[in-house]
Amino acid sequence: MRNGMFMRRSLALLSGLAVLLPALAACGDSTPTATTTTAGGGATVSPTDSGIGITATTAPTKGVDATLAPTTSAATMPPTAAAQATTLPTAGANVTSIIENPTLTGGAVTPNRVGGGGMLRWSNEGVQDLDTLDPALVNASNSVMASGLIFDGLVRTDSKLGLQPAGAERWDISPDGKTYTFHIRPNLRWANGSPVTAEDFRWSLERALSKDNAAGSGSYYLGNISGATDWNAGKTQGLSGVTVKDPQTLVITLDKAGVYFLYQLTFTAAEVVPRKLVEQYGKNWPDHAYGTGPFQVKEWRHNERLLLAPNPYYYRGAVQLDGIDMPFVQDPATAFNLYRSGGLDVMGSQQFPNTLAAQVAGQPDFRQEPQFFDAYVGFNNKKSPLNNVKLRRALALAVDKKTLTERVLGGGAVTANGILPPGLPGFNPNLKPLAFDPTAAKAALVAAGFKDGAAVPKLTLSYTGGQADFEKVATTLQQMWKQNLGVSVQLQGEEQARYNNDLTALANAPDKSPIEMYISVWGADYPDPQNFLSQQLRTDVGNNNGHYSNAQFDQLVDLADVERDVTKRMDGYHQAEQIAIDEVGWLPLYHSSGNLLLRGTVKGLVYTAQGLTTDDWTGVTNK
Amino acid sequence: MRGFLLRRLGSALFVLFSLTLLTFVIARLAPGDPIMQMMGNRRDPVRYAALQQQYGLDQPLPVQYLQYVGGLLHGDLGMSFQYPGRPVTTILAAGLPVSLKLGLGALLLSTIVGVPLGIIAALRRNGPADRVITTLMLGLFSIPSFVLIGLLVWLDLTLYKAHWPSLPVAGLQQPASWVLPIFVLAASSMGYIARITRSSMIEVLGQDYIRTARSKGLSAAVILTRHGLRNALLPLLTVLGPSVAFLVTGAFVVEKLFNLPGIGNTTIQSIGQRDYPVIQATTILLGVAVLMMNLITDLLYSVFDPRIARQG
Amino acid sequence: MAVRSRVQLPAVGEAQASTPPSLWARLVRNSWALASLAFLIAVVVAATVGPSLYQNLASADIQPLRAPDYQDYTISGPAASWPSAVHWLGGDDLGRDTLARLLTGLRVSLAVALLVETINIVLGATLGLLAGTFGGWVDQVVSRLADMLFAFPGLLLAILVSAIFGTAAQNVAGDIGRLLLVSTALALVSWPLMARFVRGQTLSLRQRDFVQAAEAIGARQSHIMVRHILPNVVGLIITAATLDMASVVLNEAVLSLLGLGIQPPGSSLGLMINQAQPHLEQNWFQLAVPGLTLTLLVLAFSFLGDGIRDALDPTTR
Repeated sequence: MRNGMFMRRSLALLSGLAVLLPALAACGDSTPTATTTTAGGGATVSPTDSGIGITATTAPTKGVDATLAPTTSAATMPPTAAAQATTLPTAGANVTSIIENPTLTGGAVTPNRVGGGGMLRWSNEGVQDLDTLDPALVNASNSVMASGLIFDGLVRTDSKLGLQPAGAERWDISPDGKTYTFHIRPNLRWANGSPVTAEDFRWSLERALSKDNAAGSGSYYLGNISGATDWNAGKTQGLSGVTVKDPQTLVITLDKAGVYFLYQLTFTAAEVVPRKLVEQYGKNWPDHAYGTGPFQVKEWRHNERLLLAPNPYYYRGAVQLDGIDMPFVQDPATAFNLYRSGGLDVMGSQQFPNTLAAQVAGQPDFRQEPQFFDAYVGFNNKKSPLNNVKLRRALALAVDKKTLTERVLGGGAVTANGILPPGLPGFNPNLKPLAFDPTAAKAALVAAGFKDGAAVPKLTLSYTGGQADFEKVATTLQQMWKQNLGVSVQLQGEEQARYNNDLTALANAPDKSPIEMYISVWGADYPDPQNFLSQQLRTDVGNNNGHYSNAQFDQLVDLADVERDVTKRMDGYHQAEQIAIDEVGWLPLYHSSGNLLLRGTVKGLVYTAQGLTTDDWTGVTNK
Repeated sequence: MRGFLLRRLGSALFVLFSLTLLTFVIARLAPGDPIMQMMGNRRDPVRYAALQQQYGLDQPLPVQYLQYVGGLLHGDLGMSFQYPGRPVTTILAAGLPVSLKLGLGALLLSTIVGVPLGIIAALRRNGPADRVITTLMLGLFSIPSFVLIGLLVWLDLTLYKAHWPSLPVAGLQQPASWVLPIFVLAASSMGYIARITRSSMIEVLGQDYIRTARSKGLSAAVILTRHGLRNALLPLLTVLGPSVAFLVTGAFVVEKLFNLPGIGNTTIQSIGQRDYPVIQATTILLGVAVLMMNLITDLLYSVFDPRIARQG
Repeated sequence: MAVRSRVQLPAVGEAQASTPPSLWARLVRNSWALASLAFLIAVVVAATVGPSLYQNLASADIQPLRAPDYQDYTISGPAASWPSAVHWLGGDDLGRDTLARLLTGLRVSLAVALLVETINIVLGATLGLLAGTFGGWVDQVVSRLADMLFAFPGLLLAILVSAIFGTAAQNVAGDIGRLLLVSTALALVSWPLMARFVRGQTLSLRQRDFVQAAEAIGARQSHIMVRHILPNVVGLIITAATLDMASVVLNEAVLSLLGLGIQPPGSSLGLMINQAQPHLEQNWFQLAVPGLTLTLLVLAFSFLGDGIRDALDPTTR
């Protein structure tokens, strides 16, 4: 289950853990009627089943916190799970057949008349090139965003995280909840016009779960499919849990019933890819990628840009855009200047530092959406001297967060007192923060056993170098610690990829890691305290890079995770959060917004807390 | 002549060999285990061994080096660490045309502008035209490329905001995207070429045979084309080789700041990511470019001025 | 940038004739060189005493900003501000005083230039002298070594070395370690040129009568080297080193720009330019200050180098 999960980089992908959303929302909702869903042939699956919640929520999603820019907005598909789907979206036989595209009737398929709606110039910041577009392998949010424009699966989520039919027009779920029968949309076509059948879906799932693609997310999200684990380990000859009943019917059997399985099918690993293309071009097939999504690769100019053309056979109708021109721009400041001089229509969907945002605040094409997002300092709890709680307290008390957010980051960021961002269920306005207090900080330093700041061995603060916000935050912290405590801190800005590796190394072998303190971020996968506390700071969970450990904290979150009474549950989280703040498991710095520049000529795209998204690509134009 | 060229070729081959050795040694000396890094520092002996074998890192160092050189001779530069499974040659092939266009464009622009300006300045020596040209060229020669880029980008943003025509400030979306990078890259060598042309032109114009031609009443243009130009431009050939090295350094900055997908940017990127196979390849590629340019310079020089070859 | 080093150097042997007074007299007659010298002296003075002087002139309300090491508390003025009575050259993107940053940044530029030229002279000039004097295998080894390093185009080797060993250097010796590494990396690129110049001049000098005469009376090679050749290459070494400083300050800025030089919160001209770039639209002046300073430094070193060369060898003008 854990295999390949360390490199998970996509907020979008993670956000897909929206699967939990209903379950957890249910936890927070004491009326059982709203949380019970009739699935398939009448079997009742309760999302409040704590077993489901726990297995799915202990997802080791390490790496994300390192890779996201503070203001990263989510990719378009699947959207971040900040939306509040209050009831479990309809999953089952009550979804009737929808044939949305009038041209796809009666067997004869003619291509749509696409284009005429202008090109969309949309920068992909923070990378010089994409590692891949292969849905079975994409991890980085930069790649997920691009790949999501090309590929589609059996089902999809809309901008409100509702479940919608995609390649499958409808599906049936067996009474025991373990067998899913998908009816593939008749006349579903690849972008080149040839038909897509159930066998294509079977082959794609088998491929995504194969040993060769272990680096991808398939085994993690789809490991519940019968036989997936053995097939992934190379023990069997194929994926037994997915069978083709007839060209239009695909049957998937699961090891365990799970209401969130349909959501898991919305992730990249379950998207259908053309076997012909993969076999024709081998590893380089993404250079020519097409699928069943709204766009296809026109040209992938490595190190430069991705050019996408509309898919004339898109099942939802004629895409009006003439295409998407997506340049890769390493430095967001360069993309910013490019946008400001008229060279882009959309900028900032991957990275948009607050420092740049301050320059365009208030302009009509600038969008800012609050996000459930923390930037914090983490500590290596397994190494001296930062395993000393009192020293961590001294450092925390010496940080003037108000100055940091208001003057250094200049808007778009709110001071973080606690770990849970405002607006998130469970946010505690009564939390006792470690407020800025230089005198108390010095006292804590003495209590920690150091006569003054100079007595503290030189500490290192690691962060992602070259990103404006982090660079400034690190510099400011360094100077605050020097000024208020006399503690010398060495800054260690690293390239993003190296930094990710170093954090993973810290998680795997903290005693050997050179990292002492690190600036990191965490964006919500889904709006629940569990995602911020139990998944980040509980002893030995995958994301707990710094190995903070407190038995009382563990006990509190373990109970809260399965508590059905919402008041009791939140109270548990409040207590746990207070412990983590007092002991400085994290030193939270600020909660950040997502920033975006979107030219007024672009119609049909919306910027929400989930990021830049649309319900229907056929309606997007830029004229 | 042949002996001279053979000697030059021999030393070029030696340098090439050293280049492969040095880059190889630096890559192996560098702290950190590239395979561990690729695996996110997770301990998985089976996968580790497989990757080690795939990249040939399980062999003893001398064998690795020989394999590397062997591959090099067959045009096989290995696989990138950063983009697993992507051959280094593919990465280079993507960047090369961009850098070539940029470099040749800059070389061409700096010559086309620099030479005539140098000649004009020499002909109007100490006049107002000379003063303007000399000052301008000195400015272009001295201003660091990254400062010039800042200046131009600011100018461009200002123009755009005033709804005046402006140029793209990054990327390669349209043909006009080439204008700023080529200009910036050309700027210093333009100043340099103009300076060299001016001084050697002044020297040539002071020679006896020019004075004789003048006294015979030939017009300046005729003297220039018949006698002066060829001799005056000879020193420019010596600049050609160094110019390429110069353009390479310039390309690092220009390609990075304009976000151009050339070899310079690829190199910076691969150094940042410690992608040693790509670092080695770009180093050798750039080294070969400089060596070739030097060889061509020597060749041209020996053609135009056979004395050099005889002495050489 | 490499090109700058390839300016013509004095013709062989001419240096012998020059005596200090006439050299100085010739140098000061060149107004550009004199102005450059004055500017450089001013810069050196500013970098040495400027910081403490500026601090004493500062008003009390921004005192924390101008604390002794000039890296202290960041937030004093608004981000990317224009010059004012309090901040004479405005403030950078973090609200730090630009003049204070500039003065400390100059220290880095000058220190690196000095270090690189020291290595150049100690290593490059000495090896060139040895190779030229003794010839044979010494010459072979030095020349091949120089060839090898020459093969790395432009700054590539310096970029590579500072990138790969930067973290280690910083961990061992902090900012000083980084400074030393950057200097070493840049010297790695420039010493071969110095060695080549000196070797060439030495070879020519060996053909001259006074050296031949010394050889004829049986003087030892080392004696000839120190007594007859060295005094005649000193001028060339000074010229080459001065001219090379122009490339060094520029190259140091390039390394800083690529994030490979002095690390924040330290200050250097390249870092200042890098930090001002995203705020261009808001305040171009913050880019202009370090940009202009760097340009002037490069120019001054070039003019002074040219001036020294011309003073040593009046015929090249």
